Amino acid sequence: MKPFEFFKPATIGDASKILADYGREGRALAGGTDLLIRMKRGQWTPRAVVSLNRIAALRAMEMNGELQLGARVTLGEIIRSAEARGQFPVLARTASKMAGVQVRSLATVGGNLCNASPSADMAPPLIALGARADIAGRDHERILPLEDFFVGPGQNALVPGEILRAIFIPRPADGFFCSYVKLEHREAMDIAIAGVAVSAQLAKSAAEIRNCLDVRIVLGAVAPVPRRAKRAEEILRGNDLTRERIQEAARLAASEAQPIDDVRGSAWYRRQMIEVLTRRQLLALMTAPL
Amino acid sequence: MSDATKPPNGSGSQSPGIIGKRVPKLDALDKATGRAQYGHDVTLPGMLVGKILYANVPHARIVSVDIARAQKLRGVRAVITGANNPGRKFGYGTDNTPLKGDKVRCRRDEVAAVAAVDEDTANEALELIRVEYDELPAVFDPRAALVEGAPKIHHDKPSNLFTRYDYSHGDAERAFDSADVVVEGDFDLPYVTHSAMETAFCLAAFDLQGHLTVWSTTQIPFLLQRDLSEALGIPGREIRVIQPTIGGSFGRGLDVYPFEPITVQLAQATGKPVRISFSRTEEFFASAHRQPAIVRMRSAARHDGTLWAREARLVLDAGAYISWGAVTPLVMMETVASLYRVPHAKFVADVVYTNNLPTGAMRGYGNPQSTFFTEVQMDELAEKLGMDPVEFRLKNANQPNEETPQGLKITSCGLRECITEAAQRIGWESRAATDERRFETDEPHVRRGVGIACTLNVGGGARIYRSDGCGATVKVDDFGRVTLVTGSTEIGQGSETALAQIVAEAMGVRLEDVTVINSDTSVKPWDVGVHASRTTFIAGNAAWRAAQDAKRQILAHAAQMLNVSADALEIGDRIVRVKDDGRQVAFDKVVRALHYREGGTFVIGTGWYDPPTQLVDKDTYKGNISAAFGFGAQAVEVLVDMETGKVRVLRLVAAHDVGRAINPMYCEGQIEGGVQMGVGYALTEELLVRDGQILNPTFLDYRVPTALDMPEIETVLIETADPEGPFGAKGVGEMGGTPTAAAIANAIFDATGVRLRRLPMTGERVLAAIIKGESNAASQTEP
Ligand SMILES: Cc1cc2nc3c(=O)[nH]c(=O)nc-3n(C[C@H](O)[C@H](O)[C@H](O)COP(=O)(O)OP(=O)(O)OC[C@H]3O[C@@H](n4cnc5c(N)ncnc54)[C@H](O)[C@@H]3O)c2cc1C
Repeated sequence: MKPFEFFKPATIGDASKILADYGREGRALAGGTDLLIRMKRGQWTPRAVVSLNRIAALRAMEMNGELQLGARVTLGEIIRSAEARGQFPVLARTASKMAGVQVRSLATVGGNLCNASPSADMAPPLIALGARADIAGRDHERILPLEDFFVGPGQNALVPGEILRAIFIPRPADGFFCSYVKLEHREAMDIAIAGVAVSAQLAKSAAEIRNCLDVRIVLGAVAPVPRRAKRAEEILRGNDLTRERIQEAARLAASEAQPIDDVRGSAWYRRQMIEVLTRRQLLALMTAPL
Repeated sequence: MSDATKPPNGSGSQSPGIIGKRVPKLDALDKATGRAQYGHDVTLPGMLVGKILYANVPHARIVSVDIARAQKLRGVRAVITGANNPGRKFGYGTDNTPLKGDKVRCRRDEVAAVAAVDEDTANEALELIRVEYDELPAVFDPRAALVEGAPKIHHDKPSNLFTRYDYSHGDAERAFDSADVVVEGDFDLPYVTHSAMETAFCLAAFDLQGHLTVWSTTQIPFLLQRDLSEALGIPGREIRVIQPTIGGSFGRGLDVYPFEPITVQLAQATGKPVRISFSRTEEFFASAHRQPAIVRMRSAARHDGTLWAREARLVLDAGAYISWGAVTPLVMMETVASLYRVPHAKFVADVVYTNNLPTGAMRGYGNPQSTFFTEVQMDELAEKLGMDPVEFRLKNANQPNEETPQGLKITSCGLRECITEAAQRIGWESRAATDERRFETDEPHVRRGVGIACTLNVGGGARIYRSDGCGATVKVDDFGRVTLVTGSTEIGQGSETALAQIVAEAMGVRLEDVTVINSDTSVKPWDVGVHASRTTFIAGNAAWRAAQDAKRQILAHAAQMLNVSADALEIGDRIVRVKDDGRQVAFDKVVRALHYREGGTFVIGTGWYDPPTQLVDKDTYKGNISAAFGFGAQAVEVLVDMETGKVRVLRLVAAHDVGRAINPMYCEGQIEGGVQMGVGYALTEELLVRDGQILNPTFLDYRVPTALDMPEIETVLIETADPEGPFGAKGVGEMGGTPTAAAIANAIFDATGVRLRRLPMTGERVLAAIIKGESNAASQTEP
């Protein structure tokens, strides 16, 4: 690894000042499970590494109207937290399908999002939940819908000096469901071949029929950024969930994917899997307990 | 030298004692607590770090290597190249040199090396070296390499065909015409790698007399001594090899690699100890992987269910240099010609040079490959015959005390018992009932299936080298401590403790009284190396003989002390006792009495064992290369997701004929570890190689199964008390992973009706096969 300067500021202000000073040559450090690997391989050679680990504000996880999930909260903490397990089981389940126990006790949700890998597992369910990114700069703050946070593979919307402070997630209403399914080669320590998150606000329209008031379908690992399948959402929104509609929506979702061939799978397989994963989750909604 | 003939095989009158006991490994606590000193932990005063610059072009003439800037970097002590430090040819094919001077033949080729005060400096120095190449056309497909006019890899070799193995018995050509059913298919087997927990390492230091000591993760310390001597021109007698604790190897350490002589050259150039430790990335591209195989195979049977003929034609990619991996066809042909009774067999394998990375030996030594295609076709034959696959296998199974047409002398053989046990425990009857509901699961898109496959393995050494011998000495000190010095090597398999158990049993002492020394060529007697599942069998027989010799010396003197004849005595629990009247003398006291007297002597027993086997005939490849054969059957239950193609192995029963379990825990450990590698070979492991480059050199994308991916494994040890094995034991090191992939493929067929002939059977490949099977129900070939 190339030598670098190491900073451990205690406040977000200090951290963003140092990061702004170093510009593209500075890197924030959270769990380091993405950053250190790149540095050890020589892919990244920052002159300054700024640890966020002393900044208490980044570690908070609070429910006040909506869930404020500090960027520095680890995947392990999400799995263990009462809020996630109670109100946002999809987050706990997603975290438990990422990496392995040791990595999860270092890896953070903010790191996963900022790293902006097309296959980042936290992104699809958070986008499906309607999350927003809370961003702090040296002397400004801004809030961005999470789906606009991803710019390209490995690229997020932050400018030098900006830090992702927290994720805001609206409290789910009755009849709201959210799930994420990740297809992987192994049961642990694996990156998604494809992933699909589905959220829906349901109402009973007749005895056994569910109406889809609102819906989000978010695709992971099949495009440069996590991507909503908007045409698939369109034909479901405001309509009753029927098998035919679900089949059609799954097909549309597959057509909205832009997968590539790589060491994890071919574009053909990925597209095929988007259809299967979407269909399965939508079918499960037909019998969701209301 | 002992004249004792054979240890008891366990079926006789010997008391069981420590043999067959589940005692923990002698080194278990040291390893579990991190105290064990692995190679990477060894440091010497003044030691430098060595690093290698690899070509990273597949085929090129070296125009120039500019090391001037690297040499000037602060902290660099030496920069060597093929020009200033050529070395000599070495290796199994005598086709490799430590550093390459004129030409590189694969991306791994070592072009220059640096010794520096630390790793960062060494890496920085590598970046300062400028190499100019004149690229040559390269060939990566071994079939293309055989075509006239293909780029030639080695100019001093007649062609890219290193060698052809051509074996036959019976009359395979005609047998296919007279057979009732024939199945035929193309198989495609991938590169996979050992993934040992510890990466490879070499530390070299010269003393002031100019004698060299090398610390190494090798599996073949005496051959390393010889190869280093060959590569560097240092007399073998001036080379000492020390093997610290070794964290797994699985065949990686069966060859001498260029990095080893290069480490020595750096030590020569600097006058300091130098260590090269592979990074994990280097481990991925610079070890000799299991070679990929392109296979065309046919099998035939008669209506009554008699296996009739087999024919396999293989092209094996050796990569740019030949390793001991080139010899694996000898093992592959054994499976084709001798697993079950095979009246007619033909086997042809071409070992071909390409510009790919060199391939080599890996656990099973060709057998996982050949067992896959052979056992998948056994299933296909059964299906075509309309016969139950278990019944078909039982009908044709090898039997005790028969010689196969290939010349294998099968003595103990529990294959039938293995098949029966595995089938019964997996619940095979439900399959035999041909009840459609047996495929059903809780989810409509998931189907269930079961499958079985068997294996035949060398279990009594394997004479692939002129000697298959091992020496041992057993010394007793005047406190009654027994020290076994064995030629063999411990690489994590637990043989050290198994050998200690054999010595404790033979001497009548406690296990904790025995120390095993096996790590230093200047101390230990000759041994070929740890491979071919041979250590417990070969080194065990040698250790038993040495222990008998030592015991005889003790008994002879105790007889004088107690004034009886030696046969009237027995040793048990540290006491020498007169069998009839119970008079006794302490074991250690006898040894002291020998030391402290005029004209005294000491107790040291020696034992040598080289099994009664032959090298195969060089033209017909026939002959009995092993003194015993191990057998096994594995049955699996799988779930297949018909929409994603994902396969989940639910349960696996591994029934193996181990002769006799010296320590059942180690047999189970070897088998379970083998199964883990077998599941990886079947479902997830593949080094993706394009243009001679590995695309996935990390454990993230080279997917070894994790604990969560593993099925519940039930291990059944079948004990057949081999007549030649120590206490009846046979080798068990490799066969645990050999039949696994075929058993899983056969279970996938049972569940889905599609045959997979390409490994690994990833979700994508299974799904593609299912889709193709549906659209073309008549044909069952994979895309
Ligand atoms: C073995 C292994 C398995 C893995 N498995 C998975 C998996 O299954 N699924 C998956 O999605 N990922 C996986 N990963 C990737 C990684 O663990 C996750 O992306 C993790 O969440 C990253 O978090 P971190 O805190 O370690 O990030 P870091 O490595 O600390 O940072 C990642 C990037 O984000 C930036 N950054 C971090 N926090 C902030 C912030 N608050 N504001 C601004 N920038 C910030 C850093 O500068 C850096 O560029 C795996 C990694 C490993 C090593």
